[in-house]
Amino acid sequence: MRVGPGAYLLLSAILFAIGVAGVLIRRNAIVVFMCIELMLNAVNLSFITFAKTNGSLDGQVLAFFVMVVAAAEVVVGLGILVAIFRKRSSTSVDDVNLLKG
Amino acid sequence: MHPLAQATTQPLPLPEVDWRAIAPELALAVAGVVLLLVVAFWPRAGRGVLAGLTLAGLAAAAALTVWNWDLERVAFEGAVSLDGITRYARAVLLAVGALATLMVAQGDSREGEPDDSPPEVFPLLLFALLGMVLLAAASDLLVVFIALEILSLSLYVMAGETRRLAAQEAAMKYFLLGAFSSAFLLYGIALCYGATGSTNLLEIADATGDPTADGTLLLAGVGLLAVGFLFKVSAVPFHMWTPDVYQGTPTPVAAFMAAATKVAGFAVFLRVFAGALGGLVVSWRPVIAGAAVLTMLVGAALAVVQTDLKRMLAYSSISHAGYLLVGVAAAATVPAGVSASMFYLLTYAFMVMGAFMVVQYVSRLGPPDDDAIGERSSLEDYRGLARRHPWAAGLLAVFMLALTGIPPLSGFWAKYYVFLAGIEAGLTWLVVVAVISSVISAFFYLRVLVVAYLQEPVGDPGAETAPGRTPALGVALGLAGLLTVAIGLAPEALIAAARSAERILG
Amino acid sequence: MLLTATLFAPLAGALLVALVPAARQESARLVALAASLVTLGLAVVLAARFQTGDAGFQLGMTAEWVPAFGVSYRVGVDGVSLPLVLLTAVLTPLAIAGSWRMADRPRTYLALLLVLETAMLGVFVSLDLFLFYVFWEAVLVPAYFLIGSFGGERRVYAAVKFFVYTLLGGLLMLVGIIALFWLHQQATGTPTFDYEALVDFQKAPSTQRWLFAAFFAAFAIKTPVWPFHTWLPDAYTEAPTTTTVLLAGVMSKLGVYGFLRFALPLFPDGARWAQPVLLTLAVVGILYCALVATMQRDFKTLVAYSSVSHLGFIVLGIFAFNLQGLQGGVFYMVAHGLVIGGLFFITGMLEERRGTRRIEEFGGLQQVVPRMGGVMLVITLGSVALPGLVGFVGEFLTLLGAFLENRVYAVLATVGVILGAVYLLWAYQRMWHGPLEREENRSLPDLTRREWAILAPLVAAIIVLGLFPRPVLDRVEPSAQRVVEQTQAPSP
Repeated sequence: MRVGPGAYLLLSAILFAIGVAGVLIRRNAIVVFMCIELMLNAVNLSFITFAKTNGSLDGQVLAFFVMVVAAAEVVVGLGILVAIFRKRSSTSVDDVNLLKG
Repeated sequence: MHPLAQATTQPLPLPEVDWRAIAPELALAVAGVVLLLVVAFWPRAGRGVLAGLTLAGLAAAAALTVWNWDLERVAFEGAVSLDGITRYARAVLLAVGALATLMVAQGDSREGEPDDSPPEVFPLLLFALLGMVLLAAASDLLVVFIALEILSLSLYVMAGETRRLAAQEAAMKYFLLGAFSSAFLLYGIALCYGATGSTNLLEIADATGDPTADGTLLLAGVGLLAVGFLFKVSAVPFHMWTPDVYQGTPTPVAAFMAAATKVAGFAVFLRVFAGALGGLVVSWRPVIAGAAVLTMLVGAALAVVQTDLKRMLAYSSISHAGYLLVGVAAAATVPAGVSASMFYLLTYAFMVMGAFMVVQYVSRLGPPDDDAIGERSSLEDYRGLARRHPWAAGLLAVFMLALTGIPPLSGFWAKYYVFLAGIEAGLTWLVVVAVISSVISAFFYLRVLVVAYLQEPVGDPGAETAPGRTPALGVALGLAGLLTVAIGLAPEALIAAARSAERILG
Repeated sequence: MLLTATLFAPLAGALLVALVPAARQESARLVALAASLVTLGLAVVLAARFQTGDAGFQLGMTAEWVPAFGVSYRVGVDGVSLPLVLLTAVLTPLAIAGSWRMADRPRTYLALLLVLETAMLGVFVSLDLFLFYVFWEAVLVPAYFLIGSFGGERRVYAAVKFFVYTLLGGLLMLVGIIALFWLHQQATGTPTFDYEALVDFQKAPSTQRWLFAAFFAAFAIKTPVWPFHTWLPDAYTEAPTTTTVLLAGVMSKLGVYGFLRFALPLFPDGARWAQPVLLTLAVVGILYCALVATMQRDFKTLVAYSSVSHLGFIVLGIFAFNLQGLQGGVFYMVAHGLVIGGLFFITGMLEERRGTRRIEEFGGLQQVVPRMGGVMLVITLGSVALPGLVGFVGEFLTLLGAFLENRVYAVLATVGVILGAVYLLWAYQRMWHGPLEREENRSLPDLTRREWAILAPLVAAIIVLGLFPRPVLDRVEPSAQRVVEQTQAPSP
């Protein structure tokens, strides 16, 4: 059975939507962060599919850049989360509520 | 000779590296790396030394920008475009960077206390600026994404640079929402790439005129790009992070974010929407105009009820993003929209940085309102400021009146220019909404002046600590105030420069 | 050049005042007074050089300011603006002299008064719509700080209300100015805010209507025309007295001057379309504010309402669209400035002596302070338009103009004249005559030399201009005639 590019794009969209839903629903900062990573990887899938359909390499190059950037984000993001966790012993975004008004 | 051997002797077709085109960016990168090494290997270097090095890097970048002033080309196979927006944004961003360096150099410690912001903030500032300058020059969506991440990652760390809980909380919120919005932007890039077959803005501009392109896919991509950009420039309904982040981060960083990210964000917003996607203006203008209405009104209305000056400035920056969106909405059809937005960014950057500088000055006057938040920025702290610190209060008045748009201060011309562009583009209704928002915003800017000038100081003024010596902050405040007044009295040269920035893409 | 010097002399004075060291605040008074007297001197030279009989703008100056927007620095005076420039130049030194005893931050206060003078002069002499708008908004800032920083108990409320109200009107006018500029650029291709060019530019009647409405918003709020007057009693009552003198004496003329100089010549069709509305609002304002004034117990608020009521006559005269009405309107502006200034000065002097402004606290003052009573009588009679005093000429001419245009309005406005006489004379009678009941009032000192110096020029002007109004009217006439012709110009 041959699977057309539409199926990959649909999968990518579904993964992206799952990521968005996770960011909006989940309260644990680590899980929220993982959902964002899921969104980025969903986009990578789209890039590679489009690279295939367009017959150019740009999409694959982009996917590599996204992976590098995602790795950098992990470093910074986990650094911030660890700093907060040390002070609070909790990573729930609901506990972080000094700033409001 | 054998054809294959002939082929191997030929050099590989590498893209031409146009060093001169990105010379200012390179200077910033080099300065950033040098500072990082200095911080790592000479831990006892004073803040003055670090600030001096940072300023030297900025000066080098500025000199290279001037050297490149008349250079007009598309470099790196269309990835970087040296056009009017690029050089105007470069100049503004470097000036903002210099002011921010002075604010950071002053630090947030009071007399006799150790400074708790680490020296790494200087290289981070340079890297953030590098990202911003590159963002303003980007003419390929890939470069847009990379530049955006360079500046965002630096800013996430800068936001949480101090050990105060509020700063870390702000950093976390900024990081999570920033990464979230980056993902939307990236998906938008992917869909645009899928629909047009390229990430280059010039090629996308050509493809949007092509009826065979996949319209639905392209529109979905444009929508997601809009969401991403609206997040970055903190437009309603994607503005929720702004007040928390501005209030929580150290004041110099908040000032830098408020001024510089807006400049870079709107520069790329203009190039992508008014430039590359100009052919689809009928589709996206209602969205941008709607966001402008919401941003202006919601920002102004929520600013009215704030009791903390930093939070109020955050909401005010949201409503200013709304006026800028009027410029973006106009820009696709009238070139004045581009120059009006660029001029607005210039004046706004100095006004808002000046306002934050006064906040920084006042927060040195006593213990923080709340240990966790760690800063003294409640409106109560400004009661009777005019009697105690007439110069600070006078400058505060200049910045507040300029933000309100009272002539002949710089903010007035900026607002006027945007209104003019809006009317020219046939968006008179939008300009009327902007006028209403301006009147609402007069309430809260005036309230600051009411508190500072018209109310008596509370408590014992003698209990206040002296602000200490503030040479760097003093220079920065003087410059911001001078620019705000001088641009108001003689705007001609800068408007002419903004006019020359109307040329986008190529 | 002379006009530019007159315009910016107070601003230069304000900078000098601000530079006076804090330890020597008293010398700030001398600097401020000197600056305002220099301005007066320059204004007098200006008046002497003015060519009577010439309807156009004279003694002007033009320079580029922001050519990218078509904005230029263009100033000049004609018969309509010259008297108002003189009025401003006369009232400011008097207001500074009136603030001589001020103890609270005199330096700041005097500097703000001088900045206010430059801003108001700028409105009167601007011949570029944009420059006009800049000065128009610039008036707000010193006025806001004068009311809010130095005023009475509810000063903050009054100042914010004043600021937001006038800012709203000003911004609507700005939209109108931009639209006019843009229409002109579309039609002719030249970007300019030049007053004469925009007057000559033919506008469609339907466009004129909404543009007139935009300008109306600004002018009606500033004047104020009933029912946009609600900020005024608060602002006038709460402001320190010498500020109120400038607010009521000069700033209230900005709005009516705007109608006369800008709204009528720029949009003749729009003005004719709105004429019934404005005449009605003017008459309602005259009667309503007169009635409200009758019921006031605070003398300062009473004078504030009387000011609104009298401004109604000026609006009535201007919107009569004939020479008598316009000429009378301009003359009445001057007369009103002198009389209302005098009334507020006296209020301030009484308040300084007794610490109250309530009418029932006084009574029988004539026996204690006869000289002050005499001055008060002249000013009050000037205000109720006794023939032979300055108010009469203005009131007579505006009513005549209104009568020629539409009798009903004139007759109704005449009722307002009678009411005006009733409340002012009644207040005068309650305060200065009758039994001397209060013990505190027995020992009040009469006018000092400084107070004489303030009031004497006003009294002299009230009498002299009442007996010999011709010099002023002759200068106003050609320019007023020109406005009449512009207003009645047939639409394209």
